[in-house]
Amino acid sequence: MRFLRTPAIRAAAASLLAGIVALGAVPAHAHRASSQTTLVMWWWGEQEAQGAKGWLDETIRLYEKAHPDIVIRPVLQTTNGLVPSFETAAKAHRGPDIQYLWGGINTLAEAWPGYIVPMSDYLPAGELKHYLNTSEDTYNGKVWSAPWYTQPSFPLLYNKDFFKRAGLDPNNPPQTWSQFLAACAKLKKLGVTPIAGGLQDGFYGGWLFSMLGNQNLNTAKEMMAASVGKADITSSKYSEWWQKLAEMRAKGYWNNDINSLQLYQAQDLFVQGKAAMTNIAGSDIRKFVKLVGVNKVGVMRMPVFGTGKLAHTFGSSSQTLAIPAFSQHKKEAAQFIMFTHTSERMVAFYRETGSIPADDRFPQNLITLPQQKLVWGWMIHQGGPYLENFIPVQLDSDGNFAGTQKIFAGDSVSSVISLQAKVLNKWQRTAPGELMAFQNWFKL
Amino acid sequence: MNGTMAAGRQFRPARRRRVAAWLRPIPYILPSIAAIVLIFAYPLVRLVRESTQQSYAGVTKDVGLTNYQFVLTDSDFITAVTHNLLLLLCVPILILLSVLFAVILNEAARGRRIYSTVLFLPYVLSVPVISVLFNYLLQLNGGVNSILRALGLGAIAQDWLGSESWALPSLMAVIVWKELGFGIMLFFARIISLPNELWEAGRVDGAGWWRLHWHITLPQLRGIIEFYAVVESITMLSWVFAYVYVISSGTGGPGTSTLVTELYIYKSAFGYGTNNLNIASAASAILFVGTVVLMFINFRVRRVDLHA
Amino acid sequence: MESVQSPATVTSRRGRLRRAGVAARQVVLVVASASALLPLYAMLTAAFKGQNDYLAHPLGLPLSPSGAAFSTALSSGFPHWLLNSILVAGASVLISLMLATLAAYAFSRMPFPGRSVSFTLMISLMVVPPIVMLIPLFELMSDLNLVNTYQSVIIIYAGLMLPFSIYLLTSFFNTIPRELLEAGSIDGAGHFRSLISIILPLAMPALVTLGIVNLLWAWNELLIALVLLQDDSMKTLMVGITIFQSHNNLNVPVTMAGLLIATIPIVVIYLAGQRFFVQGLAAGAVKE
Repeated sequence: MRFLRTPAIRAAAASLLAGIVALGAVPAHAHRASSQTTLVMWWWGEQEAQGAKGWLDETIRLYEKAHPDIVIRPVLQTTNGLVPSFETAAKAHRGPDIQYLWGGINTLAEAWPGYIVPMSDYLPAGELKHYLNTSEDTYNGKVWSAPWYTQPSFPLLYNKDFFKRAGLDPNNPPQTWSQFLAACAKLKKLGVTPIAGGLQDGFYGGWLFSMLGNQNLNTAKEMMAASVGKADITSSKYSEWWQKLAEMRAKGYWNNDINSLQLYQAQDLFVQGKAAMTNIAGSDIRKFVKLVGVNKVGVMRMPVFGTGKLAHTFGSSSQTLAIPAFSQHKKEAAQFIMFTHTSERMVAFYRETGSIPADDRFPQNLITLPQQKLVWGWMIHQGGPYLENFIPVQLDSDGNFAGTQKIFAGDSVSSVISLQAKVLNKWQRTAPGELMAFQNWFKL
Repeated sequence: MNGTMAAGRQFRPARRRRVAAWLRPIPYILPSIAAIVLIFAYPLVRLVRESTQQSYAGVTKDVGLTNYQFVLTDSDFITAVTHNLLLLLCVPILILLSVLFAVILNEAARGRRIYSTVLFLPYVLSVPVISVLFNYLLQLNGGVNSILRALGLGAIAQDWLGSESWALPSLMAVIVWKELGFGIMLFFARIISLPNELWEAGRVDGAGWWRLHWHITLPQLRGIIEFYAVVESITMLSWVFAYVYVISSGTGGPGTSTLVTELYIYKSAFGYGTNNLNIASAASAILFVGTVVLMFINFRVRRVDLHA
Repeated sequence: MESVQSPATVTSRRGRLRRAGVAARQVVLVVASASALLPLYAMLTAAFKGQNDYLAHPLGLPLSPSGAAFSTALSSGFPHWLLNSILVAGASVLISLMLATLAAYAFSRMPFPGRSVSFTLMISLMVVPPIVMLIPLFELMSDLNLVNTYQSVIIIYAGLMLPFSIYLLTSFFNTIPRELLEAGSIDGAGHFRSLISIILPLAMPALVTLGIVNLLWAWNELLIALVLLQDDSMKTLMVGITIFQSHNNLNVPVTMAGLLIATIPIVVIYLAGQRFFVQGLAAGAVKE
């Protein structure tokens, strides 16, 4: 037909063609043509173990030198983006060869839909048995990710100077809830913010849940039972901590900008000398102690109001590395993970970050900082489940994160308790697959 | 080419011309139609299918309308939709303020150039950039409150983004702050293109400032106001993700006080702990139906005269 | 307007009123300008401070200006993210402009059966929120193995811009007097020639407007880029900013320096081409 020869169609064809050529010219995700194997590693941790980035770069340099056929590309993820990025990638059946995951449910929630492969299939049993806290990552007899460094969860730092000035004994921090409230009252009178926290990005809500919400429980399994509806999450056993939190807020013991600060920004108030206490990641204790002064920083555990056994335990968890199911280089990834557990690398990790590798072969006599020794002792001798790792992640993000924000925005305790019940109901209805796996996890 | 075509026109039989007339638009619209099928039509069809399924660990089940039932009764979804509708309140505010500023700008004795440059500036800044900025500025101990306190207005200082009642209005203020420049720019350009005589008669009659602009300036701006209203309404209903995602650190918080539909769907699909593509698909489909309905009710899609 | 051409002789009462009016307008404009500039000012001053200086005086001038924050910010991914953004936004805007021009011409100048219906359908897509298509598009791109490629995002952006682009250009083409075309030849190849040689030159303001609006849209897009470009080397500036902020949220000056680096190019372009920019943006819509 004549019109097919008109300039219009030629222009249309040309523009389409040009478009396609232009698009084609842009290289689709470049694969190295050489014989080298590239391992992509999506990780997180610099945020709570400062110096990890430098250590990882050095570790990669050493590993590549020893294995000229391997190239490792590390990508530091954001706190908010760590899990969403991986799950998005996993749904597209692509992504990294090594994926950093938090422990417990955060690992298993990726294992159940088949996004990661069992680490115990790739690491020799003799190797894996040295790794600390593998139990929280175990499901159906397999360990699904490899603990990298430990996360003592979570010490409460206090400023001894403020304690002295407030008339408190800097060497005997409060242990019970009433002592704690009395200390807060004295600190507040002194004109300092008793305790600092940041809820804007949500995560601290999970910390608070784990350290306060566990206090009437004897086991993590009790929490899991409530998650699947076999116990009542609105009963006071599970919900008393919201009341405690609301009371503290009403008394003005927390920084008034808790809802507009992010977790790490709020910890900085302690460093700046604007707050007398704050929770920090156990992995980052050296940084905070050094910043504020070894003689000025005291460390304590979350004071106790509850009657459960868990109230007297200290959260014991490890941050982990996993191998995604769609990786083409699973064996190579496992080899590199083992390399991070060699004695020289572990000692270097401790030297760079001050956080303790999750491996019983790490020479513990290197730990000399008094505050860290104390925390390490709690974790080894009174270690217990870190509760946030044993609940549906949705209960954490939609229930705990949002709930603590609401408490500090002035909402009623009852509305937050019913929010938790609502979130669980949603989860049970919309995630039947995960629910089944979850029930199977501890044979509920 | 020219000559060939001219010759062709002379000798082409009538029947062939009719067929050609039928087909002639095809090369013009086909590429667009292809793109629209790929980006709009196919996804919508796929969306409907996925929204009636539930997949986990590689197993897909048909669940009928369960997902829809869930989303429609989910108070978070309703909250999110409500917030989008509340954001529509920004549109009249934007129109009012930008017309006002454009008029005042035009009447400024001095510095029109510099004022216009400055007032338009927010519009060219990137949304994530200003969202990060305002995230700091609107903190309880951030810049905005420190200015208020310095001015002796400490009493009205708020935890703008941390309080459930202020977070959404604060978000709206940020959006207005950013989108206002676009309106001022449009209206100012239109006003300066108008002949001065337009107002002369009114002035001679002794009409006051309000009357003058109400009766003379506004009618001249009607077409652009409509255009601006359409563009901004679409923004409020479907293009505020970047603001909310950055300002609330991805949470839509505090609580759900800045949750919008886009974030609800994003979080349902890819969020921490809630990665359910099927629920998100159902919510997307509902949003689609909602916008179509809203479009028919509210916008009455402006019919562009095809026979100009 | 009155003030612009304020006559020298007026009655004193009216003169006073007028002077008050002039002053009031200046006050309004100064306050508005200050609020428009405040965030920029905060960004600029904070970027040259140290963290302690910032914490003590978040809005004060830097006590001892230092560029340290910039070297930290520059060593991050900004240059790369910037290039990605330019590529993705530029390519998608060009493609959508080409396609939309052709389609708008057909809708405006070529009678064909179903034209009205298909036009209405096409422009109603304008109000469909992009998030609606996000999940199926993500799955489609996964199926095609295009996740993490520029292509995927460019195609999606271009497609999403089409309805609005066609709407704007069609309405603009409709305002071009038919007589201008009657002079030239109308049918056959005449269409394409009249599009190129008559319509396009006249439509330049509209094309510029559209180009700018679309460019800003694509430049600011976060959602699709967030989901489809996961590899660090593929990320756009907008995604990069959120990452950068998260990595440096304890060091506000570094964050601000990063924001500034991301902002400077576009502000420079804006200041340099301001007249063109404003006139183009306005002219397109004004005529419509």
